[in-house]
Amino acid sequence: MNALIKRVAMTALLVFWALPLCWMVLASLRPESALYATTATATAGFGGNHYRALFAERRFWQPMLNSIVVASSTTLLALVVAVPCAYAMARLQFRGKRALMAVVLAISTFPQVSIVPSLFLILRALGLIDTIPGLVLPYLTFATPLAVWLMAGFFRELPPDLEEAARLDGASRLRAAVEVALPLAAPAVATTAILTFLYAWNEFLFALSFTVSPDRQTVPVAIALLQGRYQVPWGQILAAAVTASVPVAVVVLAFQRRIVKGLTAGAVKG
Amino acid sequence: MRSSRTRPAALTRPRWFLLTALAVCVLACGPAPEVLTFSGSVLGAEGAIVRRQIERFATLHPGLPVDVRATPDSADARHQLYVQWLNAWSPQPDVLQLDVIWTPEFAAAGWILPLDRFAPDTDDFFPATIAANRWQGRLFAMPWLVDVGMLYWRTDLLSGPPATFDELATSVRSQLSRGTVSQGLVWQGARYEGLVCVFLEYLTAFGGQILDDDGAVDVDSPEAVRALTFMRQSIADGVVPGSVLTWQEEQTRFAFQNGNALFLRNWPYAASLMNEKDAVVRSRFAVASMPSSGGRPAAALGGAQLAINARSRHAASAWRLIEYLTAPAQLIERAHATGQFPARPSLYAADTLADALPVPPDDARRIIDKAIPRPVTPVYTELSGELQIHLHRALTDQERPDQALALAAGQLRAILNRAGLDGARH
Amino acid sequence: MIRLRRRPLEIRETRLAWLLMTPTLALLAVMALGPLVATIWESLFSHDLRLPWLGRTFIGLGNYTEAASDARFRQALAHTVGFTVTTVAIELVLGLLLALMLDALVRFRGLARVLVLLPWALPTVVAALIWRLMFADQAAPAAELLDWVVPGSSRVDWLAGPQSAWVPIVLAEVWKTTPFMALLLLAGLQGIDRTLDDAARLDGASALQRFRHITLPLLRPAIVVALIFRTLDALRVFDLVFVLTGGGPGTSTEVVSMYAFTSLLQNLRFGYGSALSVIVFVIGFSLALGYVRMLEPVREAR
Repeated sequence: MNALIKRVAMTALLVFWALPLCWMVLASLRPESALYATTATATAGFGGNHYRALFAERRFWQPMLNSIVVASSTTLLALVVAVPCAYAMARLQFRGKRALMAVVLAISTFPQVSIVPSLFLILRALGLIDTIPGLVLPYLTFATPLAVWLMAGFFRELPPDLEEAARLDGASRLRAAVEVALPLAAPAVATTAILTFLYAWNEFLFALSFTVSPDRQTVPVAIALLQGRYQVPWGQILAAAVTASVPVAVVVLAFQRRIVKGLTAGAVKG
Repeated sequence: MRSSRTRPAALTRPRWFLLTALAVCVLACGPAPEVLTFSGSVLGAEGAIVRRQIERFATLHPGLPVDVRATPDSADARHQLYVQWLNAWSPQPDVLQLDVIWTPEFAAAGWILPLDRFAPDTDDFFPATIAANRWQGRLFAMPWLVDVGMLYWRTDLLSGPPATFDELATSVRSQLSRGTVSQGLVWQGARYEGLVCVFLEYLTAFGGQILDDDGAVDVDSPEAVRALTFMRQSIADGVVPGSVLTWQEEQTRFAFQNGNALFLRNWPYAASLMNEKDAVVRSRFAVASMPSSGGRPAAALGGAQLAINARSRHAASAWRLIEYLTAPAQLIERAHATGQFPARPSLYAADTLADALPVPPDDARRIIDKAIPRPVTPVYTELSGELQIHLHRALTDQERPDQALALAAGQLRAILNRAGLDGARH
Repeated sequence: MIRLRRRPLEIRETRLAWLLMTPTLALLAVMALGPLVATIWESLFSHDLRLPWLGRTFIGLGNYTEAASDARFRQALAHTVGFTVTTVAIELVLGLLLALMLDALVRFRGLARVLVLLPWALPTVVAALIWRLMFADQAAPAAELLDWVVPGSSRVDWLAGPQSAWVPIVLAEVWKTTPFMALLLLAGLQGIDRTLDDAARLDGASALQRFRHITLPLLRPAIVVALIFRTLDALRVFDLVFVLTGGGPGTSTEVVSMYAFTSLLQNLRFGYGSALSVIVFVIGFSLALGYVRMLEPVREAR
């Protein structure tokens, strides 16, 4: 009985999430008039026209590439920058820790729209408008708080015994952290990587405001530019969304493998 | 000992600040860009034709390369980018394609140049378009392409367009009862700028106006209340389907294009699309101006204009580009390529536009002659925002029409008063 | 300032800590603090870009008092708070269920995780457009889908009613961001020692009891982080509502970020728009601090 309820609940949840996605894929393969038709779900008109138009006419591969570069760089740099900071905030004692964590958090509390004008001026002064670093820097800035808090939370929950054992064996504090705590933090690192990648991948406001030429634009901006004055080329937009989901799916698949139990549990009992 | 260590530091610190500030300024200003930048719609056919014309311009005027900068077609996104660039005193883009309602706003902010010094030939443009681009007596943008609200009607079901709203309602009822269509008149009723355009047409049809000739708010007049009540009643009576209240241009177009609606109020862009092969109404529709009801028939004015960035370093060249793009030859070429209406009435007289426009040029000219600009004021967006809210509330039965307009008028007056634009002494 | 002498170990630790934190703090100082301070400073002025003849005058808290008496702002705030509470609550419950489910799956685990994360991976605009099509009465295929799930639902014009318009908004938001919660909670679940759970099961505890007394308390830190960031994001929701309803009908679905956007980038009232953003920031920050306080008791025990 229990198992049946569980099975039903699982299926219901999966269906809720999967159904709009299926519809999206289907709709991207049909002509647009089918979206507004008043007749039933016709099966007529399946074809890859939208995808063809997307890549032949709109050169969608360029924004895809830009997004991949920007998102990967942001993720990598965010990990490099946030993990040590998180470790320090979780494990080490120093004055003003609580205030600093609060400040870090405060950064992500601000509505982005009001920051855009000032950020534009700063990036322009640095000559970074319409460049890849010009996007990576703001993304890094606003993805780091979440990364820091996530990793800090994780480090805090990690039992200090293993590290202390390593230090008793003669390792320095830093070395103990890198060789013992970091591997155990794999699930949190993977989660942080996924979330940062997705944040950078989907971010729209900064990408729109800080890029100018078509070969620097990212996927969300390219999708927005598909829109005409009144017309919304649904087919192409959905096709673009489906296409854009592929790199994301790859990244998620790759990283989610690390989100498994057993790396921390049992390690303490050892 | 300590003081000698700190004194040099105290002396050099201000110098460091100055140097850094100077560096930042230099970087911010940047090297003078020796290129003329045009920013506007570069999507699809529009993009192809504007690039072609700009390339021709560049060959005719060598010495200054021209760059085309794409901006989103979505009005909000483009407006946001323009505000960002212009507020940051960016010298580029030099030539900007503006929506008709942005001209007074940018003009008042000092972001675009008055064009009178270039002695533009304003007589050959539709008067409504020139009026919409004047702020405090000076012309700030050249009209380029015209958009007007038109009534699309089914030629296979009706013998002619309705002249009054009552005639329209009668036609709708008879066709609905015959089952030839499932909807009557569809227009854009979602809570956005389009609703104000539709309201403007009804308002003028009933003899009302949003602002009077002195710039005072007149949207709570009895005529206005009658117009809004009529709009609401049309929905209640089924002449206009209730679903319009969440519709924008595209949903209404499909309703007509798929043969469901008898009448459509929309911009000219819809006509080209409805002539495509899989449209049910292909060759079965025509256009006319919206009917009237005691006032005069009106068509809300939209369209594109070209302006010069106030901080452009190539104002003279920018003007030459604008002159070129708005010249009759280019306008005709563009009409043939995209079907967009030129802003010069003289072009409609001869046969030049015969195959170019998706509707007969005479029909188009007659409608454009009835064009009415929306209030020409820098705070228009804010006024429209307030108006939209109350109009939509009235149409969704959350407020009575007279109540809604009274509230809206009050807020409009407050906005104008705060801005110092209501003519009162401040 | 009297400083107690600190042990060399403490000083070394402090130095190490600052060394590790410097990259992050430097980045935040340059790229974030500057604009934040600029916005806060701007909020103290009356600055309307459209009306340069009115100048840019210092009015102290004038914008804030205007906001307090601005009915439209208060309404937007109420909407935003209501939206935040509703969606975060639903997402917490669903997210937990989803996380537990993904944790328990053995076959197709990777695939299920990708599938569940895809909504979060879509650009918000696309997700909003999909849900708008599903609820717009004209899009027959999508409406059919809806009818199949909840019979008769496609006949209601969801987006036209002041209250009913919230349904597609909340559904779309839940659909899109529960995966985010689920992922955070999933990561948290991985840190829980399975042996504790096994021991409890051997002792005869039911699944529910095990969940309540073992899993949930140990999951608390992850829940708090998830709550903090979800709440902050929900308070700043913009794209979703903008695309789905544009704030309509009337202003029944207008949220604070939309009003700030309107004031800032459409009405060009930079001073006022900045003040509205600061208010959102203050509220969000206070909430976050409140959540952190929830974390305190656990930390003390350690």
